Amino acid sequence: MISFSNKLRQLSVASSLALLLVACGSEQVAETSDTKKVASENSAEKSDYMVVVNRPNNMHFVDLSTDEIVRTCQLPDAVLPGTVVMSPDNLTAYVLAGRFDRILGVDVNNCDLTFDAKFSYDNVRIKSIGSLAVSTDGEEIYTIHNPTKLHSDHYEVLASQFAVYNAKDGIDAKPTRTFDVPRQINIMAAADDGRVYLSGADVFVIDPKTGQVDTAIASHSHNRSNYGQPDVLTVWPLGKVNNEFVRMYTVPKFTDETQNMDTATFMWGYEKVDLATGETEVKDFGVLEQIFFTGMARPQHPDEFYAVLTQLKRHKVSDLSVIKEIDLERTYYVINFSTDGSKLYLGGTYNDIAVYDAESLTKLNNIVLPGGDMSLGTFQVFSLPRDKVVY
Amino acid sequence: MKHLKPLNKKAELLDSAMDKNKSENQVKGDDATVEEVVAMQSVVGCTGTTDPGWEVDVFGGVAGLCQPMESDLYGCADPCWWPAQVPDVMNTYPDWTKGADSAGDDWRKLGDVFPKDDKK
Repeated sequence: MISFSNKLRQLSVASSLALLLVACGSEQVAETSDTKKVASENSAEKSDYMVVVNRPNNMHFVDLSTDEIVRTCQLPDAVLPGTVVMSPDNLTAYVLAGRFDRILGVDVNNCDLTFDAKFSYDNVRIKSIGSLAVSTDGEEIYTIHNPTKLHSDHYEVLASQFAVYNAKDGIDAKPTRTFDVPRQINIMAAADDGRVYLSGADVFVIDPKTGQVDTAIASHSHNRSNYGQPDVLTVWPLGKVNNEFVRMYTVPKFTDETQNMDTATFMWGYEKVDLATGETEVKDFGVLEQIFFTGMARPQHPDEFYAVLTQLKRHKVSDLSVIKEIDLERTYYVINFSTDGSKLYLGGTYNDIAVYDAESLTKLNNIVLPGGDMSLGTFQVFSLPRDKVVY
Repeated sequence: MKHLKPLNKKAELLDSAMDKNKSENQVKGDDATVEEVVAMQSVVGCTGTTDPGWEVDVFGGVAGLCQPMESDLYGCADPCWWPAQVPDVMNTYPDWTKGADSAGDDWRKLGDVFPKDDKK
């Protein structure tokens, strides 16, 4: 740990103060990269890229073909919780920031701040617990408002609401529609049919035009025979590379209808929605032997489900076996994959992204991010034509 | 609550509110004696939630806890996940980690916080 910390300290770069420039109705956040040229070679070629945020207010755009940072933008607020969701064209990164109280939209090619919505107003404090999604046409941005009215002598908890913003409203955007929704919503994902899946006690789906809420996957209100009530923890929307909504659960699986906890086996499983078709899936993928915070299927390999915290484990779903597992150098909260499924990326907690070979679980690299901890942040991996990227 | 006795005015108000709710529910024929407890969703201060912290993992051991513990510090503090031992950086002490962007390197810079009286 001592040598690792020293390495991080040596590689850390002190962040500079944010400089806000107002131009053409949009603000520009300071860019630390001083080299700019449009990639002209291999223009039709696609590469994987990553957007990730870390303390105190950095947003990094990373070329995953070289593991080099293309540019670092400095956001006009604290990054907490650092939930990143990309626009459909992958050129605008939306970040839940401002201590769970603000959405920032940033152009990855020039650090322009193209969207800014603060939630709280007057004596109403609004927080969003990792809830962020963008419509598949890129025109609307969705979040969950959890408002509390701060009276002089007491707090009044108000109804949770699904809030819709127009991306074109830009700076100081206000919600155009709000609908009451069940409490305890965290991650969300927009589907191809226009509806938005919400992670709550159950997996809900809402029509953002009408506010109609339906249950997509019964989780807390489950009816699986010989299973207990599943337990779910997530604030990490990770399904982009597979175009799916996914979250993991732990659950007791009983031997018979007596539901004897002493003989039950605790299982890991996932709840998944195919965002193209709306098809849902609830499936155990392994026995509960370690704690994991995030997991997802390997792209192009739907029978392989990986999960991470202090161990990294590769499961074969169909027979509940473990293909391979390794102990990590430290804890990472978040897993993600290259779009072809050949590499996996681990992030969150400190300030480096660990790169592993997805087949062998051999470590390939550490991408050290200038600045501090990623903490709870969710990074996104996506593909872009190289000629769309300004280097 | 039958073994608890109110000692101050606020506790008496709570008792009377519960009695009132109980009698109203009995009129309606409901079994519930108090209002439904609403799950904590909107964070209004870390001390408003109760979470046991990092002492043991779900198996009663420590192997399932994050390693090292500093890697988990801000991930728990930021969402008020680990409320009893750290300040509320979401609401009341947003600058607790200012200048200490790396919990692993900068943990010595993290200090205590104390409430301040509003000076008007």
